[in-house]
Amino acid sequence: MFQYIIRRLLIAIPVLIGVTIFSFFIVNLAPGNPVDMQVNPFATEADKEIRKEALGLNDPIYVQYLRWVQNLVKGDFGYSFSTYEPVGEMIAKRIGPTLILMGASLIVAYLIAIPIGILSATRQYSWIDYLTTTVSFLGISIPNFFLGLGAIYVFAVIFQVLPTGGMNTLGGNGGFGDTFKHLILPALVLGTASAGNMVRYVRSSMLEVLGQDYLRTARAKGLREFIVTNKHALKNALIPIITVIGLDIPLLIGGAVVTEQIFQWPGLGQLTIQSIGSRDYPTLMAINFMAAIVVLSSNLIADLLYSVADPRIKYN
Amino acid sequence: MKKFKHAINLLVILSLLLLAACSGGDTTSTDSPENSGDDAKASAGTMFLGMVNPPTGFNPINSGDVAAVFLQKFMFDSFLEMDGPLNFVPKLAESFETTDNQTFTIKLNKNAKWSDGTPVTTADVEFTLNLVANPVVETAVGAYISTFEGLDSSGKLPEGETSIPSVKVIDEQTIEFKTSKPVDPNMIKEQLGVKLLVLPKHILGEVDPAQLSQHPFMQKPTVTNGPFKFVQYAKDQYVEFEANSDYYLGTPELSKLFVKIMPAANMVAQLQTGELHMNVAGGIGKIIPTDYETVDSLENVTTVIEPTIGYQTMMFNTETIKDVKVRQAIAYALDRQKIVDNLLKGYGEVIDGPYTSLSPYLNKDVEQYTYNQEKAKALLEEAGWDFNQTIQLVVPTGNKVREQSADLITQDLQAIGLKVEMTTYDFPTIMQKGEAGEFDLLLIGFTFTLDPEISALYDSKGTYNFMNFSNERVDELLTLGKAEPDADVRQQIYNELQDIHHAELPYISLYSDHDYAAISNDVVFGAPKIFGFHHDLQKWAVSGAK
Repeated sequence: MFQYIIRRLLIAIPVLIGVTIFSFFIVNLAPGNPVDMQVNPFATEADKEIRKEALGLNDPIYVQYLRWVQNLVKGDFGYSFSTYEPVGEMIAKRIGPTLILMGASLIVAYLIAIPIGILSATRQYSWIDYLTTTVSFLGISIPNFFLGLGAIYVFAVIFQVLPTGGMNTLGGNGGFGDTFKHLILPALVLGTASAGNMVRYVRSSMLEVLGQDYLRTARAKGLREFIVTNKHALKNALIPIITVIGLDIPLLIGGAVVTEQIFQWPGLGQLTIQSIGSRDYPTLMAINFMAAIVVLSSNLIADLLYSVADPRIKYN
Repeated sequence: MKKFKHAINLLVILSLLLLAACSGGDTTSTDSPENSGDDAKASAGTMFLGMVNPPTGFNPINSGDVAAVFLQKFMFDSFLEMDGPLNFVPKLAESFETTDNQTFTIKLNKNAKWSDGTPVTTADVEFTLNLVANPVVETAVGAYISTFEGLDSSGKLPEGETSIPSVKVIDEQTIEFKTSKPVDPNMIKEQLGVKLLVLPKHILGEVDPAQLSQHPFMQKPTVTNGPFKFVQYAKDQYVEFEANSDYYLGTPELSKLFVKIMPAANMVAQLQTGELHMNVAGGIGKIIPTDYETVDSLENVTTVIEPTIGYQTMMFNTETIKDVKVRQAIAYALDRQKIVDNLLKGYGEVIDGPYTSLSPYLNKDVEQYTYNQEKAKALLEEAGWDFNQTIQLVVPTGNKVREQSADLITQDLQAIGLKVEMTTYDFPTIMQKGEAGEFDLLLIGFTFTLDPEISALYDSKGTYNFMNFSNERVDELLTLGKAEPDADVRQQIYNELQDIHHAELPYISLYSDHDYAAISNDVVFGAPKIFGFHHDLQKWAVSGAK
């Protein structure tokens, strides 16, 4: 097991290097550059040239890349090209909110998906099954921004029970309750969207397990159906779903870009959009780098959880 | 049946858990949800403004964007404020005078001080001017001082030098500078007087000029000289200011001020719920026209609509559309009034050229290109236009009205038989396409000053002359106009310039959209204004607790 982790981590290194090279060149190849965004009509050509030089944009691209790697090794993500803030600080501030939002929406997704998936599987081809499959299909199809704007309109504008956006009441005392109130809408929107997908996984996984012989044995021994379904079957049905969690995390980051934008949630998604808009290379690179690490590690964690959930799986 | 029951039970339990989790949060929260809207109202003396564009930072001499400058002016005072077209009132400067239109004397308000108690003196002014002119300092305001004696045309000192020879400190409150030729004082007052913000020498004096942009002060200004002090900037979320109780023009009425950054769509919702006191309008905090009716129908806000000096144009690439007749034909083919009526809901005006009806320099004798498809077709025939040729129309994303106007423009051009291919790109791409001349028609918007000086756009070497338009007489007129002190003579110069552009048509202006601002009824004093938004900020107030 330990060896397996080490091996996976070692493989991750060349993958990460590859990802950074690839993304650095892609990011730099995009038309336009940070200096062009200097749209003040009172900035002269000389002003632009000084800035270009100061940002190192006049150097060949491989020099820029090597400089970036050199700094990265020292743990320095550099300065934002558009705001001159240290990128490390900027990202550190954003990780917390993103994790809170992702965690909350994962909880929402599973709280919705697991019971509904089980229900749907145990009542296969009943009206409940058809209803849940249709609703979850709708859940997948409705774009987050639409759901988000609808939620703002209903809960914030009409009923005025929840705030329209942000993470805290400005000028208020903040605190857990306040953040929680701000979290409800974005987490529900993001959570229900992934729940739609999740229901179908739980359902099909459950269906497969329900047909197994050992469940018939369990029933034959006189176990109550509730125990059979929710203990014996569910435990085994969850194994493939664990993998889905791992695959879902990068998806959640993607979904969060839109959701964070709508609810002004101060997470990484919002930072990404702003950085793309201003061609802020150092910030984009840092985000790419982090995203690569998240994907690699969530895959690894999913694999490890797999062996925890199913003792038949061993990594040696 | 039993199975079903169990499943239902499970579902009920789980949903109860979920509900409990939600309501649990509500009861433990410090303020109940019903109060969330009242929060803004309840804390008297706190104001919330809404804007759309996030600022690039708080460096007064190196901010390229309108949003940053707008925010900086809450914390830093300019020498003057323009509270109406070319009407200047004193702020940091007690007086800003010249007798010969070449030597200018600025006298600072002797009460002005930084928020740490240090007086604002001419040493700070000299320090700031020298930084802007220093060729190693990153700055975005070089053009403000490009007329100074001893500087090159981009406002830079020769390599290695660090102080402007024509700037002379007379005493702590008096400073003098000289331009290389006599100029119109209004031009200097509008650029240097209203826009240049002074940096504190006692904080930044020892910083390596080349490293100035990275200095923490530029992210979190620790001392300021305006009505408000910087508290924090939650990036892309909001900027928090607090009153500077030692402000030399009087203690501000507001104790706190938040400028929230959000998508335009959210602004309407927040105006309605009372989370916002007003949108800031002015190109950085606009409400989208499709929401105008909704906002008008809100009972807790009043609306203000004002013409602006900002405008949208369609540039012609004069390299690919060489024939003036073709450019004219395209201009005649456009139903610009339809854009104003339909997309701007009537809150805008059709303009030709770079001056809106607010500008005293608008040449009213120039006849507009009015919608006339027959004339357009005739001109195309006359020019021998090849109707199989495809015209590339390049459109930037980000401004909804502009994106929609591109559809109307395409339809209008197709109606006269032109083949048009429209492509949209984000702004950095547009800038590159523009500079490289990779377009036939390009949509872009500008907000210059009330002063007619617009070399950046018109001059054959101008930063934004993507049209590749070059005309000796125009360059000559621009140089003359910049250096002409007499307003009447300048009027003649810019009239001729507008005549030439009307005939040569390197670009056709589309429309100028009015500012549309909504102000909460709780606001006692203060409103978004085209001129002098930041004037009398210390008097801004909101009504108190209910």
